[in-house]
Amino acid sequence: MDTASETAQVRVEGVWKVFGRKAREARAMAKAGASREEIQTATGSVVAVRDITFEVAPGETFVVMGLSGSGKSTLIRCVSHLVKPTEGRVRLCGTELTRADSATLRELRRQKMAMVFQHFGLFPHRKVVDNVAYGLEVQGVDRQDRQDRARELLDTVGLEGWGDHYPQQLSGGMQQRVGLARALAVDPEVLFFDEPFSALDPLIRRDMQDELIDLQMKLQRTLVFITHDFAEALKLADRIAIMNDGAFVQVGTPVEILTNPADDYVRAFTQDAPVAKVLQACSLMRPLDGTAIDPGWPQVSMTTPLETALPHLLGSTSPVVVCDEDSTPVGLLHGDDVAGVISENRP
Amino acid sequence: MTVVEEAPRTANGLRTASDSRLARFILAIGTIVVLILVFRLSTSFGVFPESWDIGLADPIDRARRWLISNQTSHWLYTVFLNPITDAIDWGIRRLESILKWFPWYSYPLITGVGLWWTRGRVAGVLGLASVSLIGIIDLWEESFATLALMGVSVLISMIIGIPLGIAAWRSDAVAKVVRPTLDAMQTMPGFVYLIPFVLLFGVGRVPALISTVIFALAPVVRLTEVGLRTVPQVTVEASEMFGATERQTLRLVRLPQARPAIFAGMNQTTMLAMSMVVIAAFIGAGGLGQVVLRAMQSIEVGQASEAGIAIVIMAIILDRFSTGIATADPGHDALALRWLAVAVTVAAVVGGLLGHNEFPESLNWQFAPYVDDATDWARDNLYDIGGSGIGTGPFSDFVTLEFVTPLRELLSSDIPWPAMIGIGVVLGLWARGIRLAVGIGAALFAIGFLGMWALSMDTLAQTIVAVAITLIIGVPVGIMTSHNDLLRTALKPVLDFFQTIPSFVLLVPVITLFHVGRIPGIIASVIYALPAAVHYTDLGLRRVPAEVHEAAESFGATRGQRLRRVEMPLAAPELMVAVNQVIMLILAMVVIAGLVGGGGLGLEAVRGLRRSDAVGRGFEAGIAIVLLASILDRLTRAIADRLRPPAAV
Repeated sequence: MDTASETAQVRVEGVWKVFGRKAREARAMAKAGASREEIQTATGSVVAVRDITFEVAPGETFVVMGLSGSGKSTLIRCVSHLVKPTEGRVRLCGTELTRADSATLRELRRQKMAMVFQHFGLFPHRKVVDNVAYGLEVQGVDRQDRQDRARELLDTVGLEGWGDHYPQQLSGGMQQRVGLARALAVDPEVLFFDEPFSALDPLIRRDMQDELIDLQMKLQRTLVFITHDFAEALKLADRIAIMNDGAFVQVGTPVEILTNPADDYVRAFTQDAPVAKVLQACSLMRPLDGTAIDPGWPQVSMTTPLETALPHLLGSTSPVVVCDEDSTPVGLLHGDDVAGVISENRP
Repeated sequence: MTVVEEAPRTANGLRTASDSRLARFILAIGTIVVLILVFRLSTSFGVFPESWDIGLADPIDRARRWLISNQTSHWLYTVFLNPITDAIDWGIRRLESILKWFPWYSYPLITGVGLWWTRGRVAGVLGLASVSLIGIIDLWEESFATLALMGVSVLISMIIGIPLGIAAWRSDAVAKVVRPTLDAMQTMPGFVYLIPFVLLFGVGRVPALISTVIFALAPVVRLTEVGLRTVPQVTVEASEMFGATERQTLRLVRLPQARPAIFAGMNQTTMLAMSMVVIAAFIGAGGLGQVVLRAMQSIEVGQASEAGIAIVIMAIILDRFSTGIATADPGHDALALRWLAVAVTVAAVVGGLLGHNEFPESLNWQFAPYVDDATDWARDNLYDIGGSGIGTGPFSDFVTLEFVTPLRELLSSDIPWPAMIGIGVVLGLWARGIRLAVGIGAALFAIGFLGMWALSMDTLAQTIVAVAITLIIGVPVGIMTSHNDLLRTALKPVLDFFQTIPSFVLLVPVITLFHVGRIPGIIASVIYALPAAVHYTDLGLRRVPAEVHEAAESFGATRGQRLRRVEMPLAAPELMVAVNQVIMLILAMVVIAGLVGGGGLGLEAVRGLRRSDAVGRGFEAGIAIVLLASILDRLTRAIADRLRPPAAV
């Protein structure tokens, strides 16, 4: 665990956020186990985030999932320091934000992090290309260089030729691509996503999720992703934290959460989740460990949804071989494991 | 039975609003009647006793004399005020000489191209023609004086207003001071600002400019603040997340997004400044305002209308320009316009070097004589048509004798002054509560102590008559337009026109028909305030939700029933806002009308501006205007709040 702490890119320790005047009293009540409503009636203060601790490793996608009012938006703002936490420490790329002065914080934001917003947060008075170039402009990069870089990123997100439009002229999905390009333009190590796809319609949302997965495979950045959509969390996350009433209820990989929900609150989500659609072969496969592969066993790729692998497993006792991009076998998918995940959640 | 039912209702504290409202209303009316009767019976009270005049005028006159005799020597002037005066004066002269350097024909051309660009071809042609008209009627020189004064006023308003707006947005402490000050500044008739500056600076362009700036400042400050406040938080967060400094966020994100609001503020500021053109001429602003003023005083209606039209043209062009800039879309004319703009610029510079700056006299043509002829004809023929007792003259006499004079008598002497104050207090108590009641009482006493009781009641009487006429005409028209989109579209340009033109100009045609006196002032103020009455009535009725209409209709209500039982009560708060706006507009206008024979506070104030021995009285009259305006404003706004249905619990 210690070594993990050394290499963690984002490290959050005991963060609290209390809105209102009587922060101290409210925190004391919260520590004694009072609920948010009780605290609010007693002190008039709202405990938005209570005692959150987590770490995110380089290249990891950490998803915080919670319903509206669970404090997830405040949490991501505490981590990125758009909102100052009432208590606790946040370390980002080895620098402690909580103690940093405004110049250090600004420098860190310029170099290390970027954020994608729920309602895009695009600047309506700037052209798309100038939106994407904003982070570089703030850093003082010359006009020509920043425009070149911005156009390059617009190509990456599939918006070549749209640079001279204004954001309002684009559809919602395209606007969020601009938001993504703008965040990537400064080449950040850590990317924060504040419910980036929740304002999009379901089909566009699915496309954007797939593209984010592709992009992440190429770029391998550290992502902190907020969502209220459990399926989205399952699809994107390396690890998920389920948040309720300001605190984490459970933190774990998608499979851990599906197979072993911590309490009824988490179970309620897992029961409705389209597990077979969302989970992919790679999340349930077992390592080869020298097992001899029968050439007759069916093969699937790592990103195949369980749903698609399922027909191969039905009525057969043999496992399915999971291969990587070069068709090299990397693991085996057993029918028992798949049945376990699916049946556990559909009693 | 009723008793049994009543008891639990009061016990639960669920007495309906209408019960208590009616009770309070009856109580208020009853108190007023009792007050009048009591003071009426003890006949010793009538007009506010003269011996109670605290005589504020004397010390002010003394101060004025002291200021005049020390103008060249005292440090207050040599170190502080004179440099300001000199700088502003230099600015105006400089701008005027720059404006005059360009050849005369560049102005119609620039206006034409500019309006084509921002508003389309028709506007462009009209702009070109109307600017030429100003030259044709030989008001070129005067227009430049006015334009330079306007330019510097608006510029100074921007220089002060935008940073002040930013400061008010940034700091709540600043906002807490700035906002009520601006509210108060906008409530006051512009006229009031002249007096203190004349006291300090004497007569001239500088005090005129300072008064204009103060009168016109409010919108740009307020809209800068509103613009900055309404910038979406998420864009600010995005900027912060990229490590932008506060200044970068302000410059690159906040201000650009607030720009439409700031432009709107600039437009309103320009319009307010234009409305001061004639008023500022009272203290030596010169230019077109002075032409109007001089012509009005010698009843040369032709000359006054020429200058009035020049002011209207200037106001409308500035308005269309400044509202058009933000949304300009030249469309497919863009290329042609670009070349035209280049050509005009070249022509302007070449012409300037060649020195074609005087508007050619050969093009002069004046319509003043025709207007004068028409006026004479109107006076001879419409004033009393064929001696029949029908015409504008008898109409004026009728309104004066039947309404204005009796109402003035009623307010100033028939209702004893203590009863008047009592009425004010009771209304304040009914509408809002003890604080407003005390405020109104104190303000009314102050008017009395200033020795302005009779004059204030005169102004109040004229205001009440004008408000009554405006509402009698305006509210039904508003009701009609709210039910008829066609009528509304047809009326809109007319109403817009009357709101754009400076108030004083309205007096010109009215004087033609009704001569000087109280009536032309009342009629001009009715015309001035009518658009507001129509607009707010229409707005209020249109806000009534469609389901409510449908519900009323489904119960089989007739149109009349629907209007009386459903729409009017629901629109009542907006109608009260209409009343408030109408009262404030009319009060401002009635004060101005005082200058052309309306008497009352306006006349007293203008005397103070003209004659140095009457500055003290003028100052007192100015304070009385401010007090009267505040009372009427607060009272009507409080009543509007009272009429609002109770908010959800």
